[in-house]
Amino acid sequence: MANVKVSALHKHFGPVHAVRGIDLDIPDGEFTVLVGPSGCGKSTLLRTIAGLEEIDEGRIEIGGEIVNEMRPRDRDVAMVFQDYALYPHMTVFGNISLSLRARRMAKSEMEERVGRVADMLGIKSLLERYPRQLSGGQRQRVAIGRAIVRNPRVFLFDEPLSNLDAQLRDEMRGEIKRLHQEIATTMIYVTHDQVEAMTLADRIVLLRDGVIEQQGAPLDLFEQPTTLFVAGFLGSPRMNFVKGRLEGGPDGVAVKLNGGGPAWPLPRGRNPVLANGAEVIVGLRPEHVGRAGTGPAAQGFARVEAAIELVQPTGSRSYATFKLADQPVMAELQAHDISHAGERMCVDINLRRVSLFDPGTGKAL
Amino acid sequence: MVQLAPADILPPPGAGRSSRLVSAFADRYFKWLMIAPAAILILALSIYPLLFSLWVNFVNYDFQIPGHDFVGLQNFLQVIQDPLASSALVLTILLSLTVVAIEFVLGLALALAMVRTFRGRGIVMSLLVMPLFISPVIVGQSWALFLQRPFGPADYLLGQLVGHPVNISWVGEVPWVYIAIVIADVWQWTPFMFVILLAGLAAIPQHLYEAAELDGIGGLQTFVHITLPQLAPIITLALTFRLLDAVKLFDIIFMLTGGGPGTATYTASFYLYQIGFQQFHLSIATAGSWIFLILLSVVIMVLVRRLLRVEAA
Repeated sequence: MANVKVSALHKHFGPVHAVRGIDLDIPDGEFTVLVGPSGCGKSTLLRTIAGLEEIDEGRIEIGGEIVNEMRPRDRDVAMVFQDYALYPHMTVFGNISLSLRARRMAKSEMEERVGRVADMLGIKSLLERYPRQLSGGQRQRVAIGRAIVRNPRVFLFDEPLSNLDAQLRDEMRGEIKRLHQEIATTMIYVTHDQVEAMTLADRIVLLRDGVIEQQGAPLDLFEQPTTLFVAGFLGSPRMNFVKGRLEGGPDGVAVKLNGGGPAWPLPRGRNPVLANGAEVIVGLRPEHVGRAGTGPAAQGFARVEAAIELVQPTGSRSYATFKLADQPVMAELQAHDISHAGERMCVDINLRRVSLFDPGTGKAL
Repeated sequence: MVQLAPADILPPPGAGRSSRLVSAFADRYFKWLMIAPAAILILALSIYPLLFSLWVNFVNYDFQIPGHDFVGLQNFLQVIQDPLASSALVLTILLSLTVVAIEFVLGLALALAMVRTFRGRGIVMSLLVMPLFISPVIVGQSWALFLQRPFGPADYLLGQLVGHPVNISWVGEVPWVYIAIVIADVWQWTPFMFVILLAGLAAIPQHLYEAAELDGIGGLQTFVHITLPQLAPIITLALTFRLLDAVKLFDIIFMLTGGGPGTATYTASFYLYQIGFQQFHLSIATAGSWIFLILLSVVIMVLVRRLLRVEAA
């Protein structure tokens, strides 16, 4: 059990500056997810914490101890790899117990600990099998078992679920979360999948091009993205972005979309400090665009008429795409709100949940 | 302007039947035509002599005794009762086990040293594998010149090293002659082990080492728990190849010692060569070859079975 602190970390791979000055403070017992698109430096950051990559600049502390010069094996961290990295010539028992054998643990204690871990992960019946005789999900459990059996101070996960099929991924995601609740050890988890990040994390650290774009609790990032990039990265289907400009009115600020339509007055408290007529990007999450009810639009909602061009039913919900001021927008509707493309309907847009971004800097307004 | 052929001068349907038959024939049998030269060569140069030798085993086929009378198992008995034959067989076994063991250890050590990248690795690698490209006859001749007494540099260099004159008759005295053979063979064939084992080492996934490092496994333990088991199939393969080659040891003996002093360095191949092509007791040499082949087959079977088992695992 330990906290992890990373300060001013830099890492180059030849001419590529993979990690550019990252500061990160992960409290003891927290589940932190490093997320971002491929090549954002998230795996590199994880591997530097493990000690598998040397760092060029900065400092890494685990449990208050600077580990810059420490070998991986002395850092007392465990890692679960994307391709599991199980020892193919050893049984499941051999794989899980190797680290204990290396510490010359008594056989009875070793068997007891392996048994406990195997019980916890539901792989007790597989202990005599070899990795090649296991399914992907079972291998992943063994890899996790190998990591937890020696009670490390920190767990590192490097995209552990990306080789599994969708159903198994959901299942394992739940198990990892449950595991964290049970053993409450610091976990750092790398993924490019924003759903994994949202569901697992106590805190999401969103990386982009080797720097932290935004970090915080999942819902904070989701509801108050500080940049266009964060807003677009989190959420599925992703946030709609439409171009518009600001207009000062008698009741405060309004947004007028490029391509026509009425100006939408922004709810109070949303008064971006930008000149009248400034270009903005309006971010609308699909779930904040819904079928209009009967009667006039409620306070804080804007009603538009939509000619639906594409319908994507998922069972519980249907995603309908239409053009808003000549720009495509996706709405999340109840499954039976829409039957087929070509339908015309009225939708209400929740203006309270609208995000505004400066198209020049990409920053939220 | 393009002239299109009028329809009435196209061949009537059915006229191409014979040419179609030819092309169908060619389609079906072309592959056989293509492998025929190789097949004929193998039949003529391998299969026929092999079958012929089966017959020679049981008849008199000797340049010193005319006629090809049936002699039963006489040829085999001649070989089995020849003390030189059994000593040659024992020497072959001892020598090949010795050289393969030394080549394996050296090759593995070299491969472990060379698996990391460093500046100048390419040049070192080229130098290391060079002996592989030299004909064994040349290797034997070169070592013969190098070790020759009194003009070869070997004794002189050793003398400089130990600080007093050295006077070893490398090819004229037991046990030095065995050491000379082992040195020459190891010099030539260690690179073979090295190259194969290096390829095997490079193929071990890096993640396994990373996982082991994080599991707290030390250097020697990593070698025992990860490297050796992962390399095992390649080791079996390299040992099999090398052992099969080593038991045929002939060229270096032929050039370096000529089987001497006396018959001290007669290996199985050299013995059979002497009986067959120097004394021209062809049927006895053939019987000896068959005995050798059968003994070797047992070894091969064991090794190949091991290889296949590793493969299946």
